Amino acid sequence: MPLTPTTAELLSVTDLTVRFSQPQGEVVAVDRVSFGLAPGEVLGIVGESGSGKSQILFSLMGLLAGNGKAGGQAVFQGQDLLAMTPDALDRVRGAHLSMIFQDPMTSLNPYMRVGDQLAEGLIVHKRMTKAQAWEAAVAMLDRVRIPDAKRRARAYPHEFSGGMRQRVMIAMALLARPAILLADEPTTALDVTIQAQVLDLMAELAREIGTAVILVTHDLGVVARMADRVIVLYGGRVMEEGRAEEMFASPRHPYTKGLLAATPRLADALEARLGTIPGTPRSGGAMLAGCPFAPRCTQKQAVCETQPALVTRGSRQLACHLEAL
Amino acid sequence: MLLEARDLDVGYPVAGAGLFSAARILPIVHGVNLTLEPGQTLGIVGESGCGKSTLGRALLRLTMPTGGQVLWQGQDMASFSASDLRRKRAEMQIIFQDPLAALDPRMTLGKIVSRPLATFAPELSKAERLARAVKALEEVGLSEDFARRYPHEISGGQAQRVGIARALIGRPKMMVCDEPVSALDVSIQAQVINLLMDLQERMGLALVFISHNLAVVRHISHQVMVMCLGHVVEVAPKTDFYAGPLHPYSQALMEAVPEPDPVREKGRRGTALTGELPSVLNPPKGCVFATRCPKAQALCHAERPVLRSFGDRQAACHFVESPT
Ligand SMILES: Nc1ncnc2c1ncn2[C@@H]1O[C@H](COP(=O)(O)OP(=O)(O)OP(=O)(O)O)[C@@H](O)[C@H]1O
Ligand SMILES: [Mg+2]
Repeated sequence: MPLTPTTAELLSVTDLTVRFSQPQGEVVAVDRVSFGLAPGEVLGIVGESGSGKSQILFSLMGLLAGNGKAGGQAVFQGQDLLAMTPDALDRVRGAHLSMIFQDPMTSLNPYMRVGDQLAEGLIVHKRMTKAQAWEAAVAMLDRVRIPDAKRRARAYPHEFSGGMRQRVMIAMALLARPAILLADEPTTALDVTIQAQVLDLMAELAREIGTAVILVTHDLGVVARMADRVIVLYGGRVMEEGRAEEMFASPRHPYTKGLLAATPRLADALEARLGTIPGTPRSGGAMLAGCPFAPRCTQKQAVCETQPALVTRGSRQLACHLEAL
Repeated sequence: MLLEARDLDVGYPVAGAGLFSAARILPIVHGVNLTLEPGQTLGIVGESGCGKSTLGRALLRLTMPTGGQVLWQGQDMASFSASDLRRKRAEMQIIFQDPLAALDPRMTLGKIVSRPLATFAPELSKAERLARAVKALEEVGLSEDFARRYPHEISGGQAQRVGIARALIGRPKMMVCDEPVSALDVSIQAQVINLLMDLQERMGLALVFISHNLAVVRHISHQVMVMCLGHVVEVAPKTDFYAGPLHPYSQALMEAVPEPDPVREKGRRGTALTGELPSVLNPPKGCVFATRCPKAQALCHAERPVLRSFGDRQAACHFVESPT
C-alpha cells in the first residue's frame, strides 16, 4: 500500500519495479517501491550508490536503458506513466514533468544558444510565438540570477560557469511550469557555496510555481535542507519513509541510523569517531528473499532471511523485523 | 619538524599569447607557509580550483614549485638528487580521489601494493615483497585473498584501501591525501576516515588531508588551513577554527555545509552567498574573496590583505577582529 497523504495525490507510484536483463541473469534495481507525491511537496530519496535512486526517476521519465523494464504503476492525472505509448509520454513529459541531472551538459545542447534552448520548449509545448518565448526565457534567466540575462541569453553553454549552468538547467526545467520536477543529484558536482545557492534557488522557484519535486541524492544534508518527506532506499527497496524532521530526529531502521551515524557533522563532539556500517553497499543482483540490508546489519537475526513487510503508522513507514514504529 | 613550506609558489607553464612569445607561468598557489609535525594532520580546505591539489603535489615535488622552498626534516628538497628523492618518496606518499583510476587494471592487488618496494627496498626477494604486501593489505582491513584479485573485482571503498596499503608499504612518515573519500559512499567514507585515524595513531603518521568537505576535515585534522584562489586566507588549530572561523570566506564555507538536520537547514535557506567566483586567469587586484564577501568595503577591492596573527591563528582580512 502506498502512503496516502491527506491532500489529493499528484503522483501515485505503486510497486514500481525495475529489472535489467543481462547475459549473467536478471538484475533487480528497484524492488516494489511505492510512494505518493502531493502537489508542491518536496520528496527526498536518499541512498548510497547503486541503491536504485536514479532508476526510479528514469522509469518515470521513460528513460530506462534498452535492457531495462519497469513494472508496477505510476499514476499521474489519471494516467499510468509506465503504460503510456512513447508519444503520449512525450506530451506529458514536455508539459508536466521535467528532469535535471548532475551534469548540466547532458541536457544542454552545446551548439545552441542558451536562450533558444529555453524558448524551444515553450514554442513546442506551450504554443508561444518565438518572440514571446524568447522574452519568457530571458525573464527566467534573470530570475535564476544570471547576470545580464538579456545579453547572456545569446551565449552558448560553455561560456557559463558550472554553478551558472546548473542555474540555467533549473530555469529550463521550470520554465514550462511543470507539475513535477525530478532532480537527480543536481548539486553533487558543485562546491558547497554554489550548492547552497542552487538548492535555495530551486526551493524558492518550486514554491513560487507550485511544482512538486522528487530530489534524489546520497547527501543527507541536502535532503535535510530541501525535503518535506524522505524515503531511505537500500538495495532497491524502501527501508524507511517519513517526514524529514521526524525521521532525522528519530530514525528507526538500522540502516537509517547507520547512515546518520556515519555522516560527519559540524555539530559532532570534536574527538568523536564516526559510526560505521560494515561491508559495502549492495548494488544490483537478483530478487532477494530477505532484507537486503541484513548482510551488513549488526542486529541481524534469523528472521531477517525473510522479507520484512513495509509497516505504516501515521506518516511513517518502516521495513524491519527488529524495530517497531 | 617533519615538513615545512616557506613562501611556496606553484604555477603551470602555459603557451605565450603570440606565436613566438615565450611560454609563461600561470601562477596557481601563492606564497604558502606551513609546517607539519609527526603524527599530526593538517587539513587543507577550499573550493574546486583553489589550488589545494597543486599545493599537495608541490609538497612532494610531484609538481615543481616556481618559488620558495619545501623542507623535509629540515633539508631543502631542492638539494636532493634524483635518486635521493626517489628513495625519500617511501617516506612521503600520496593517495588520490579516484581510487580505481589509480590502480593498474592488469595487475593483481598484491603486485600493485608491493611494486613500490622495487625502488624502496630492492634487496627484498619476491616472496618477501609479497609478504609485505599481504601485511599492508591486512593493515587496511583487507584479507590475504585480496592479494590475488584484480582492480575490477573490488569496490570503490576497497580500491581506496588498496591505495592506502600501497602508500603504507614503504613505511611512510607522511601521507598526502587528496580528496581521499570524496568519491565514496557515506558508509564507506566513514570506514576510510576511521582507518586513516587508526593508522595515524598506530604509526605516528603525519597527514596532509585535502578536502572540500569541512565536516570531514573537522574529524581528522589537528590544524586547518583554508585556501581561496591560490591564497591561504586562514590557518588555525581545529578547536579554535570550528568554534568560530575568523575569515569571512571560512565563515561562508562553514555556513554552506548542509548538515543532516532539517530544522537547522530549513532555517538557513536563503543565506547562500551571491556573486561569482573570479577566474585564476584574471584574479582580482584586492582580496580574492572580495567579489563574494558580504562584508567587502572599498579597501578590499583595492588592496590584498596579508596574513596576520591573532594568537595561535592567522587570517588574511582587512577587517578581521581579534578573537576574544
Ligand atoms: N542498463 C543496465 N543494465 C544492468 N544493470 C543496470 C543498468 N542500469 C543500472 N543498472 C543497475 O541498477 C542498480 C541501480 O542503479 P541506479 O543508477 O539507480 O543507482 P543510484 O542509486 O542512482 O546510484 P548512484 O548514487 O551511484 O547514482 C545498480 O546496481 C546498477 O548497476
Ligand atoms: Mg544515480
